[in-house]
Order: sequence, then structure tokens, then C-alpha cells
Amino acid sequence: MKRNKSVFLSVPYILWMVVFTLIPLGVVGYYALTDPDTGIFTWSNIQNLAQYMPALGRSVLYALISAGICLVLGYPVAYYIAHRGPLAQKLLYMLVMLPMCMSFLLRTLAWVGLLQDTGIINNILDAIGIGRLPLIRTPAAVILGMVYNYLPYMILPLYATLVKLDGRLIEAAEDLGCTPGQTFSKVILPLSVPGILSGITMVFVPAVSTFYISQKLGGGKETVLVGDLIERLFKQADNPNMGAALSLVLMALVFVCTGIMNRFGGDEEGGVVV
Amino acid sequence: MKKANRLITILMFAFLYIPMVVLIVASFNTGNDITKFEGFTFKQYAELFRDSGLLGLLGNSILIALLSTGISVAFGTLAAVGIHSLKPRMRRLVMSMTNIPMTNPDIVTGVSLSLLFVFVGTGLLGQRESLTFWTLLLAHVTFGLPYVILNVMPKLQQMNPALTDAAMDLGCTPVKAFFKVIIHEIMPGVIAGGIMAFTMSLDDFVISYFVTGSDFVTLPVEIYTYTKKPIPPKIYAMFTLLFGLIFVLMLTMNLLQLRSGRKKESKRPVSKAWVITRRCIAGVAAVCLVVGCGFLMFNGRQHETVLNVYNWGMNIADGTDETMDIIAEFEKKTGIKVNYSTYESNEVLYSKLKNGGISVDVIIPSDYMIDRMIAENMLLELDFANIPNFSYVDEQFKNPAYDPENKYSVPYTWGTVGILYNTKYVDEADVTGWELLWNEKYAGKILMIDNSRDAMGIAQYLLGYDVNTMDKEELQECADKLAEQRPLVQQYVMDQIYATMENEEAWIATYYAGDCMLMMEENEDLAFYLPENQGFNLFTDAMCIPYCCEEKDAAEMFIDFLCDPEISGANMDYICYASPISAAKEYMEDYLRESEVVYPSEEVLKRGTAYAYLSEEISRYVENLYQQATKLN
Repeated sequence: MKRNKSVFLSVPYILWMVVFTLIPLGVVGYYALTDPDTGIFTWSNIQNLAQYMPALGRSVLYALISAGICLVLGYPVAYYIAHRGPLAQKLLYMLVMLPMCMSFLLRTLAWVGLLQDTGIINNILDAIGIGRLPLIRTPAAVILGMVYNYLPYMILPLYATLVKLDGRLIEAAEDLGCTPGQTFSKVILPLSVPGILSGITMVFVPAVSTFYISQKLGGGKETVLVGDLIERLFKQADNPNMGAALSLVLMALVFVCTGIMNRFGGDEEGGVVV
Repeated sequence: MKKANRLITILMFAFLYIPMVVLIVASFNTGNDITKFEGFTFKQYAELFRDSGLLGLLGNSILIALLSTGISVAFGTLAAVGIHSLKPRMRRLVMSMTNIPMTNPDIVTGVSLSLLFVFVGTGLLGQRESLTFWTLLLAHVTFGLPYVILNVMPKLQQMNPALTDAAMDLGCTPVKAFFKVIIHEIMPGVIAGGIMAFTMSLDDFVISYFVTGSDFVTLPVEIYTYTKKPIPPKIYAMFTLLFGLIFVLMLTMNLLQLRSGRKKESKRPVSKAWVITRRCIAGVAAVCLVVGCGFLMFNGRQHETVLNVYNWGMNIADGTDETMDIIAEFEKKTGIKVNYSTYESNEVLYSKLKNGGISVDVIIPSDYMIDRMIAENMLLELDFANIPNFSYVDEQFKNPAYDPENKYSVPYTWGTVGILYNTKYVDEADVTGWELLWNEKYAGKILMIDNSRDAMGIAQYLLGYDVNTMDKEELQECADKLAEQRPLVQQYVMDQIYATMENEEAWIATYYAGDCMLMMEENEDLAFYLPENQGFNLFTDAMCIPYCCEEKDAAEMFIDFLCDPEISGANMDYICYASPISAAKEYMEDYLRESEVVYPSEEVLKRGTAYAYLSEEISRYVENLYQQATKLN
């Protein structure tokens, strides 16, 4: 009986989520299917999506590359942290968290200062006689910005799985004659799959939709990402309808990708929680 | 293997922390440029604490974070208890709904909420200002709630249901059972969720960027607009202080946790100290919440007049470099509080007014945009009885083409759009006209102006077309010209031009004469050029009152104040534009009054043309062409 009563506590929440997550998505759909001038129904925004597909493909590619780099760089770090003593673990964990609490706009801007033609790195290169290199406004700079900003999102879930790993399994593998390489590939790696998948998702989603990183560190056609397009359509081009259509596509893409991830990861729940 | 891991870890930490070290070092720099350390100083910190605006924005961020976290925690905890007792199928459904804001990219969440607010507020309720403090709070609660739910749910699942039963058997009402038993069991989850919701809210940029109106701005959103302008180094000082604060907070929290963890291990009952610390934290949080709410109510209840002024970036004297602080003078004289914010271009202003649901009282658009706003009924008629200083305005600026009966506007400045180049790198022989901006020799060192009208105009002057043409073929040709220029362009910029030209990251740009004058003062290698055989734009910026104005009398007072010749002169000293009030010249510095850049000769001015408003259809067409040619693919 008491069970039934507390059920009602969930009603306001369900209403809230319907009003502020489902209905807004409906409104996005409404805008996507109407004409900016007249407000009547049209397919033209959907038809025009084709021209934005290269940017979408580029975003997915860069985000995947970034997620891959984050994984390769983040795994050893997470592994290292997970094998420290409790105090060192806490401190290192904190040092990974700390950048996430600082303004990512300013931190990205610091990269502009480092990478630009008259920037810190180029000044050093120039001084030691190598000469200035085109670092900023390249796809590589954008990917660097993504890796920099989202690396902690990879390390934290990896650490969370690795630290829970039962040390006896590794000992058992070694006792049964596994080389360190085999222990890693047959025991440690398979057991850390949930962390890997959750890390990839957490890097991929913000990276694929970023606009600030590509606006600051990118330049030219090769670095226009889908987030840029949405931001510009809303804030500059005065075309929220087209922007809405593109947002829907981005959302669908992200849900399909995370769906695939979850399928691979089995029925793991709450993987997003740090 | 271990050594390799250690090395990678060290390198990764260096990678994560070097940019922050750069920012921290920059906060002690005497110069403004982040790339050059000129000397050690604490000046930036002093500037920071003198700037109530910046601290106010930080206060705004904290206020929103506290309020939204408080609401999310209370609302989310109760909701979690409710969800927990739902039937499994229903529970799964609700949880997947909870996951939507977590999985959705922030930009989509931001866009969807802003469309909802504008759709309901402006579309259905007919409000002029649909994006406010409250919508921002709603958005923050919406993305904070899932963090609380997702942290509390596992704790509820771990909890032994017999506990509640026992409590109720012993005579507790369900409410009592919740407060006596359940809440203690799930407290760690509530705290963790609250902390996450708080940090997410405090640092949120993307969602806030889309749902922020003009009346309440948080720090990250303001920093975004800062990064499009020359950045005041006091921002770095703020970063450094926040960094220190968060570092110390995290460190103490971790050490405390570690200590209490050890005590738990030694199987002593939960230490009293820890219980007290927890209560203290809860108490402090509650006090902060109450103070925050009180502050908000207090702010809301103050019925003093607040005038929202919306102007171009770097377009009013603000007291720096020994100029007059115009806003402060006005506030002192009238007792009206001014809430000043800036936009980047006419197009941004237009789109904000039209779609953003903001509320502003005074705007300063350019000629063609005024024309458009008049045509679309976006401006209010001025009561010139309240603007006696209008009589100082020169005859030639009265009844202009964009406002033939002079009912809606009072001119603020006028000027030209020309080429700014660095004489150190650019060959004088190449400086022949607009084609300089298409010169492949300088690929990657050219900045193009980032708004459709000016950029298309430059292509039209280059190709020799009429800048007010409605011929779609000609317009298409201009767009093609801009697309052809794109590979050579380093960046499309507005106010960002300052830093980039001054530190010589770029060598060639096109911009408004007054701003060029300011940059030439900073870097003496810069020079300004108006094409001799081609046309160029001659513009007037004028003060208007938009339809969303709520303080029309105060707005007219402000306009009148700026027309005072002495004020206008002092203002021009800072912004370096020409004043439409000749009497103001008397109060301007000599070099400015005599400058060919600011006041070109009659003969030069003859080559200039003004932009006119074409039609809504053509404006949209041009905007679309421009975006396609320069950015959208």
C-alpha cells in the first residue's frame, strides 16, 4: 500500500521531463518542418540537409579520431593511477578532475596562444632556428583541442573499471602461464570493456557536437563541424528552422551511436555516472 | 611496461596542465598579450576587484548553480523515491527519459529549450522577452535533475526495503520514515548528485548560451563574448583565483574523505566528526540557498529604473586610458542604472531582437538596418521633446535616407569601411584597392569582415556593381567572389580583429575606420587605406528605441545625454569615430579632429556610398549567400 503512495512522487518529475525534454524535441521537429518566412509546412529544410552532410561526416570522423587517441593515451594513465596506493590514487584522480572544473573556453583559448603563428610554441621554434610552423587552423589543431578537452572523460570511467578489477584474476592468469602481454589482452582488456565503451561515448558525444573548439582552433573548410553550422544558423544566419533540422540529424546520429555502444556493452546500467 | 605507463602519465598531466599554466602566468603579465611576458605585476588582480561587472557575473553563475542544484536535489530525491516504487516496465521508461538530456549533445538540448521558450513565450503568450533568468533556471534544473536521479537510484536499490517496513511498524508515518530512515541511507548519492549538478551548472556554457536573454548573463557566456573581443587580462586573474580555490577545496575534501575512510576501515562507528562535518556542509548549503534566494528577491524587488543598452563592441568610452566613463557619468547624473551589453554586428542584433526574445531599451544599429527595422515595425517613434540636444546634430545628418522623416533615430557616429594593413609585411605596391584582400601572396594572413552586408559590399565595390542592387545574378557573382577568397582568409572576424592585427598574427584586414584608428595607436606599423578607384561604404550608426523597450523615457534621456556635444566629444576620443555633431569637435583631441582616417576630405567622401535596405526577401537571400560562400559547408 505504501508503495502505491510513493509512486505519486514520481508524477511531477515525469511531467517535468515531458515538458522540458520531450516537448522541446517536438518543437525542434516543428521548426525543422516549417518555412522560416511563412511558418507553413515544408520539406525544404530536410531536402537542404544534403549540403551539410560533408560537415557531419567530418565531425564524426574527427570525433572518432579524438576518441581513439583519448583511449590510447588515457588507458595507460588510468591503469597507472589504479595501481597506486590510496592516497596517490585520490590525488591523481583529483588532478584529472580539476581541469574539468575550469572554464573550457579559457583553456581552449590558451591553446590559441600556444599554437598561433605568433604564438608561444612558434616563438620557441623560431628562436631555436627551426622556424615557424603552421600549427593552428588545421584539422590536427581541432583534434588536439578535442583530445585536450575530453581526455578526462576517458580517463575517469577507465579508472573506475580498472580499479575494481580483481587482482586475483591477474595472478591466476600469471600462475597459469600467461605472459604479461597475454594477461593484458586476455584478462585485463576484456574486463575493462565497459569502461572503454563508456569512455568512448563520453568523448565522442561532446566532440561530435562542439563548435567552440573548431571556431577557435580551426580555420577553412576542413574544420567546419556540424556544431558550427548549428550555432551559425541560429546565432548568425537567422535561420533557426534549418538549424533545427540539422539538430535533429545530430541527435539521431548520437542516439544511434550510443545505442550501438550499449549493444556492445551489454546491459550495463548507469555507465554515464562518473 | 610500468615505466612506460608512468612516463605517459607524466606527459599526460603536463599536456593537461600546460595551458592552465599559460593562463596563470598571463595573469601576472604587465602586457595584454598572452604570448609575450613583459613583466611581473599584480595589477590584473587589482583591476579584477575593481570591476564589479565581472564579479557580478561570477555571482550570477553561483546564484544559478546554487538555486538549480537546490531545486534539483530536493525535487530529484523525491522523484527518485517515486520512480523506485514504480513497476519495472514503467521505471525503465522513466529512466530512459532521464537519460535523454544525459546522452543528447548539449547543443541540441540548448537549441531545443531555447526554441521551446521562444515558441511558448513569444509565439503563444505574446511576450516580448521570452528568455529570462527564469528560463535559464528551468534549463539548469532540467539538466541537473538527471545527475541527482542517477546517483540516488542505485542507493535506493541497495537499500534494504525491510528498513522502511521496520520504521513503519514502529509507528512512523511514511513521511517520517523518509526523513528518519531513507534519507540517511541514500545521503551519499544525494550529495554526489548535488555536487555533480552544481559543477555542471556552474561551468555550463553551451546550454546557457542558447537560453540566455539579455537581463541575466552567467560568467561562461560572457567569457564567450570576451573571446571574440580583445580579452582583458583580468579574466586570467579570475581564472587563477578560481583555480586556486577549486584546488584547495578538492584537496581538503579528498583528505577528509580519506581520513573518514580509514576510520571506517578500523571498524569504529561512524565518527562524530564526520557526522558533524556532513551536517555543517548541509547547513552551509542551506544557508547559501536561502541567502541566494533572498538576494534574488531583493534584486527583483528593487524598483529602480534599469536601462538596457545594447551597443556594438568597443563602441562607447568606458573610462579606460583616461577617457570619460560615459555610462558612469550618465548613472551619476540621472540615478538610472544602466545594464550595458554588446553585439557584434547588425545581423546579430537583428536576429537577437527578432528571435532571441531579449529586452533592450536602446540600440545603435547602422543605417540600412534601421531602414529594415522601420519597415518591419521593430522601432518606436521617438519623442523629440525629450531629446533637446538633437538640435546640435548637423543638418546634413537630419532626415537621412534611412529615416526620411527622422522619426525613429538620432545619429551617433559616422565613418568609412577601409583596408587596414601592416606596412612591415605588405608591399605598398600591392595596396591598390579591394583586390588586396584577394591577393594570394598574403594567403592565410588576411582577415575578412564577418557580416553579410559589409562582406558582400566589398565584393560589389571590387566588381564595380551597385551595392544596393536587387539583381540576384549580380549577388550570386559577388558570393562566388567571396567563395573564391575563402581559401586565402585566415579568419572571419569582427571585434576579434583587434588582438589579431595588433600582435601581427594577420597582416591585412578590412574594418571600420574608428576601430582601425584605435589599432593604429597600439601598433604603429598598421596603416589605413581607402581605395582610390573603387567605392567604399560610408555608414551612419544611430540610436533607436526597439519595440521591446520598457523604459522609453529613460531611453530618450540616455539618447539626449549622448547628444550633448561635450559628452559626444569625450566619447569620440575613445572610440575614434566621427561625430555627427560638429560642436563636439571642440571637445575632441587635436589629432583626432585632424585625422584623415576619422574625417576624410570632402573629395574622398564623394566616392563613398551608403547601404540601403533592400527587402526582407533580398536580405535573407544575401545572408544565405554569404553564409554559404564563407562558412556553411
